[in-house]
Amino acid sequence: MPTSASSSAPIASSSVSAQSRPVPQDLVGRLSSSAISHEAKLKALRDIKNQIIGNRTKKLSFLKLGAVPSVVGVLASATATATSRIGCGFIGDDHDLDSIIIQSAAAVGSFACGFDAGVQAVLDAGALPILFSLVSHPNEKVVDAGARSLRLIYQSKLAPKFDFFQDQNIHFLLSLLNSENENVSGLGASIVTHSCETKVEQNVLEDAGVLKKLISLLAGSMIQRDASLESLATLLKENPAAILKILGTEHRGALDVVTELTRDKYPRTRLLACMCLIVVRNSYPSYLQDVRTKTQLIAILLELLDDAGQVGDEAPYALSSLIAGKEDMQKLAFEDRVAEKLCKHLEKGPLQARRLQGIFLALADLCSLLECCRSRFLSLKGLQFITNALTNDNADVQAAACICLRNVARSVKNLSAGIFMNEPVIIPLVHLICDASTSVQVAALDAISNIVVDFMTHKTTFIQCGGLKQLVQLSKSMDSTIRLHSLWALKNLMFLVDDRCKETIFAELTQSTLRSLIRDPEAAVQEQALALVRNIVDGSVECIEFILADDALLFHEVVRQLQCASKTEVLVQGMYVLSNVASGTELHKEAVMTQLLPVRPGDNQSIMFKFLQSDDSRLRTAALWALVNLCLPNFPGTYRRVLSIRNAGISSHLKNMLHDPCLDVKLRARTALAQLLIPDA
Amino acid sequence: MSLFWIVIRQLAEIEAMATSKKVITREEWEKKLSDVKIAKEDMNRLVMNFLVTEGYVDAAEKFKNESGTEPDIDLATITDRMAVKKAVQCGNVEDAIEKVNDLNPEILDTNPQLFFHLQQQRLIELIRNGKVEEALEFAQEELAPRGEENQSFLEELERTVALLAFEDVTNCPVGDLLDISQRLKTASEVNAAILTSQSHEKDPKLPSLLKLLLWAQNQLDEKAAYPRIKDLSTAALEDPAV
Repeated sequence: MPTSASSSAPIASSSVSAQSRPVPQDLVGRLSSSAISHEAKLKALRDIKNQIIGNRTKKLSFLKLGAVPSVVGVLASATATATSRIGCGFIGDDHDLDSIIIQSAAAVGSFACGFDAGVQAVLDAGALPILFSLVSHPNEKVVDAGARSLRLIYQSKLAPKFDFFQDQNIHFLLSLLNSENENVSGLGASIVTHSCETKVEQNVLEDAGVLKKLISLLAGSMIQRDASLESLATLLKENPAAILKILGTEHRGALDVVTELTRDKYPRTRLLACMCLIVVRNSYPSYLQDVRTKTQLIAILLELLDDAGQVGDEAPYALSSLIAGKEDMQKLAFEDRVAEKLCKHLEKGPLQARRLQGIFLALADLCSLLECCRSRFLSLKGLQFITNALTNDNADVQAAACICLRNVARSVKNLSAGIFMNEPVIIPLVHLICDASTSVQVAALDAISNIVVDFMTHKTTFIQCGGLKQLVQLSKSMDSTIRLHSLWALKNLMFLVDDRCKETIFAELTQSTLRSLIRDPEAAVQEQALALVRNIVDGSVECIEFILADDALLFHEVVRQLQCASKTEVLVQGMYVLSNVASGTELHKEAVMTQLLPVRPGDNQSIMFKFLQSDDSRLRTAALWALVNLCLPNFPGTYRRVLSIRNAGISSHLKNMLHDPCLDVKLRARTALAQLLIPDA
Repeated sequence: MSLFWIVIRQLAEIEAMATSKKVITREEWEKKLSDVKIAKEDMNRLVMNFLVTEGYVDAAEKFKNESGTEPDIDLATITDRMAVKKAVQCGNVEDAIEKVNDLNPEILDTNPQLFFHLQQQRLIELIRNGKVEEALEFAQEELAPRGEENQSFLEELERTVALLAFEDVTNCPVGDLLDISQRLKTASEVNAAILTSQSHEKDPKLPSLLKLLLWAQNQLDEKAAYPRIKDLSTAALEDPAV
């Protein structure tokens, strides 16, 4: 088809476009054809490369046409030819062959760039060893192409783990890191970032001198700097020994260089330098304590959030790890108006999912400990942003919004004001607990758990929105995580609720379900089930009847756990159930007495005695509470119970407990002892 | 940079000496300046930096041979970079994209915004050339998926496609897209991305030095009357107004 002649004629415009953008099928076909000239093959390779670079959709469509194995095939045979020529002593340029290698390696790299399906296809086609062989090629351009593609592959989590325990691998890695070529040394650092996961691996690499080499790369080109910052963070993560070394004389100044790089002119370098410092601080808390540096880190990360690209997407995650779990950092973030700035981004919207998720996670961490942060966020229409995100179509965003809501709902003030208990919040949450993704379900359940703690009046709203029915359904899930978190929410729903509401919840849950949850295979589930029962029997005398109805089946289930469970947390909750029952009528107290005091056949101690001697102060406290409730004065049977308790030899043990290291235990022991003395006087 | 610190030091000295505005004569000033030492090699490197960054490859080559100053970048890559820049400036965007990909395939693969702007420029060129059908097809196939990935791209795409809706594009609200300045904007974006990928500053150092000089003079004006440089192109000292 004549191209130059037709380009000016408007009628031929479509044929021109067909000519300039070849059809993918033809291109792939040309690669595997043997009856095609060298030039045509090179052109097909370049066309594929130019079509897929920067274009995800095109990568996918070429992938589906099987382009990756074809391109890797061309790369493999060209590389083999080149190797044999070099082996035969061929010296000089083999321009055509090199061009084929460069173009096909570049295409392979582009398939693997930011596209997991592409990485998988490239790996499946066996490209990795071929690309590695290019790193020692005499032509520098070939080396560049090979190393670039490998770097892109090693940025994906799908790349195979590099085995650092083999000497020849460590030698190879060091040869990469020592290379003058920035793509090759950058590749070495990327391999470290991707493959170093354990403490042992960190040590092997450090012993081999990798840490030292990486520090020297900080002074290199942008590629070397960035790659080195990332892998330094990998080597230093949760590794105080290495951090001590880096702070010591041998590598003096290394962290100053990193600090300097937080002010670099390239945003990505700034971000990576911040992340490296954050890793150091999180793994070695006495480092980075001065307020100025901390404030600067916050300021830099906030500024990076304005970046429109990937750097801006990642900045909130770095901010998150800087402030997570650290009250001092959250206070600083509050003073530096982080909430305001994050909300401004939310307001500006619409944002990409990754960034939106990151911002909500950062806000979640900000609101995790301090009330001032929570009220600031809420005053900035925070709840509105959260409810909008709950209906986002991305699961990660939904989960992040739930986590943020969970932490904001720790605000007792706002909780009692009932600001979370309304349909715009509850309806989407109830919807999300049935989501297909477990992480969304768990995040939504946790948010509900906190919201339903609510004091008194608003709990019916939740039940009316269908929340109770869903929670009960999920408590029977096959997945123990879901059972655990739904039960947690039910427990909180049952907390300080009126008797009528209790009845509704109990009827929905049923006694038999509750019994099977108490003997769940998972101890954590047992603990929550018992804590739920504890909340049922907390309050009026009437509500104790819930667990004594039907031949006291539920009550005996609890007692059974007290006899055979081994996990302290389970025993503590079980003991509080009995302690609450013991606060009831004469009949209730007697029921508890008969379970706690006698020494059972096969045991050498009563349950009460055993728990009072527990190593765990929480269990000692719980047992003492039960004792206190059993001996409450002014009950007809108090004297009789006091006598049996004394006869069981408990009062002398109580005297020892007056010197207990735990203050709570000391205090309850004193009360109990006083009660045991009263009838005599 | 050294020149900057020299001026700052002088500024500090003057501040220490006088509380009222001091007058410095041309002789005093020239004497002070002659005490300042600047290495020839530094000057050469500044000039080389300017030539390299601005893309004067032949001049850089000659300057290298004549002054012995080594450029901090492979001069061949400057030729390639200038070719890319020129291709965009002439509206041959596809050609420019291929050249960038030959230079370093990572640039457009890891810089979605730049890639979108180049594709947008391609669309603009198609519309400019009246290839309506082709433009629509291109927008639909190549650009629409990018718009789905990114909201701000979608808005820019809509603005660009709006060009097709007007009879007289030169007078329409989005007419600025057809302006030559749009090509220059895209060209300089590509140029900067290539320089960044080569770990090279995207701006030469010389203009920043001159900016620092002007700033320092402005600071000094409040404290002293001295021979200042008004015309940067001649760098002539002008007698202080007393």
